[in-house]
Amino acid sequence: MKMLRSAISYGCSTKIRPLTIFYLVEYGFFALIMAIVVLCTGNAALNPRGVEISSAVFISIMGALSFKEDFKAFLQNGFTRGYIFLSTFCSFFIVSASMALIDTLLGNVLRHFVKYFTFFGMLYGYGHMLTTWLLLTFVYVMFCSIFYLAALVINKVGKTASLLIGVGLSGVILLIAALFRFVFSPELVSRIGSFALNAFGFMNDGTVELVFPILTFTVIGAVFWLGSYALLRHTELK
Amino acid sequence: MGAIQVNDVTKRYKDVPALDHVSVTFELGKIYGFLGRNGAGKSTLINIIANRVFADSGEVLIDGIPASENMAVHDKIFCMSETDLYDRDLKVIEQFKWTKRFYTDFDMNRALTLSEKYRLDVNKRFKALSKGYQSIFKLVIALSLSVPYVIFDEPVLGLDANHRELFYSLLLEAFEEGDRTFIIATHMIEEVSNIIEEVVLIDGGRILAQESVEELLESGYSVSGAAEEVDGYCAGKNVIGYDELGGLKIAYIMGKKNALPKGSDLQISAMDLQKLFVKMTERSIK
Repeated sequence: MKMLRSAISYGCSTKIRPLTIFYLVEYGFFALIMAIVVLCTGNAALNPRGVEISSAVFISIMGALSFKEDFKAFLQNGFTRGYIFLSTFCSFFIVSASMALIDTLLGNVLRHFVKYFTFFGMLYGYGHMLTTWLLLTFVYVMFCSIFYLAALVINKVGKTASLLIGVGLSGVILLIAALFRFVFSPELVSRIGSFALNAFGFMNDGTVELVFPILTFTVIGAVFWLGSYALLRHTELK
Repeated sequence: MGAIQVNDVTKRYKDVPALDHVSVTFELGKIYGFLGRNGAGKSTLINIIANRVFADSGEVLIDGIPASENMAVHDKIFCMSETDLYDRDLKVIEQFKWTKRFYTDFDMNRALTLSEKYRLDVNKRFKALSKGYQSIFKLVIALSLSVPYVIFDEPVLGLDANHRELFYSLLLEAFEEGDRTFIIATHMIEEVSNIIEEVVLIDGGRILAQESVEELLESGYSVSGAAEEVDGYCAGKNVIGYDELGGLKIAYIMGKKNALPKGSDLQISAMDLQKLFVKMTERSIK
């Protein structure tokens, strides 16, 4: 247990520096844009949205890089793959929760002072800060899991096969779009659409249920994390 | 008696066999030279022992405990790698602190003392160190850990002669401190020949020999002289190689020394470890 705690601390601490730089740059840009808008229009209301999206992009990159860097360091220090997986998952959960907390708090602050509306705030409202934080945490964890798995797959199958998989996935997306457009009946499309909206918390009666998207993102994240574990168990040092 | 036991380990990379039913034992309390040419299978075996790659078949036991994916052996073994596995952005001192957290028996004071001896700047990031100092950093960590089994994979890569000498003396110092095993995989055979007790020779993914240095050196000798005379002497003997220079011929022979014929101009000499290694692995390729 002591070793696992140390490994989680290591996983988190190696992310503090890039995380600090990220937020400094992000909010630096934000302040710059705001200054330009105020100077040009005299109005402090900001239209650009992107706090959570840029956080999701950043954490995805970290998810992919984490495999490359931390995996090697952990192997050097004698950790098993089981421990590596657990520590990676826990450290990403902690980092995701921290980023979600910053984004939720700053989103609320910005809304009051410069009338900035976050993407999540617009979708789900600002009424439940705790639930919004949880929801955002699971979204970030899900993004981590997708890119961590992607890094594992690329490591396992190599560049060429990964590109082929990428092309294949694009094909599948186009195929699904075509199925919805030309094959499925309007009733089926409507039922699938309704199910998807419900899964993301938008109920048929117009209300928003935050529990459903939390569950949805948890399930998607869990699938990717399990996939990652299955691959990591057999991953060797190259 | 504790040991690292490698039992019938096989490993293939696609169609290329890297290790072919390898069985070898590294006993506790000895310094081993793990010798082999490039691509002989040294690093593959080391990586399997250190749980970095998986064997296709066979098993590795450390003090009787399976080494694959088992945290129970974490504090028993440490492997200093030729490849850089450390976080390149961390400072040396930070790497020491993390190693202290990861291992129960990491001696921080010793690490700092050794860093001073080597003039290793602990405030530099790993990526800012020269190749030689990156090796020194890894050596300092390995020498500051009191685990029973330490494997050094090409430990003196990029080190100058003074630093290499310092490493060998520090290694012997650490060895004298307790019941420990050091396994040194290196190409600098002559340099380590005086400190190793036992040699494990690997070639083409198979163990060619595992003997004490003394026994191995006694198992072979060289005969030099006129080519015809040498050929005559070698008839019926296990010759593992020849060197020729003009009319002078040297034959490298495995087996017991026979007395030279009376009046012979031939000369018998002992083989050094490097020559023995070269000739044995040359023969293995042929």
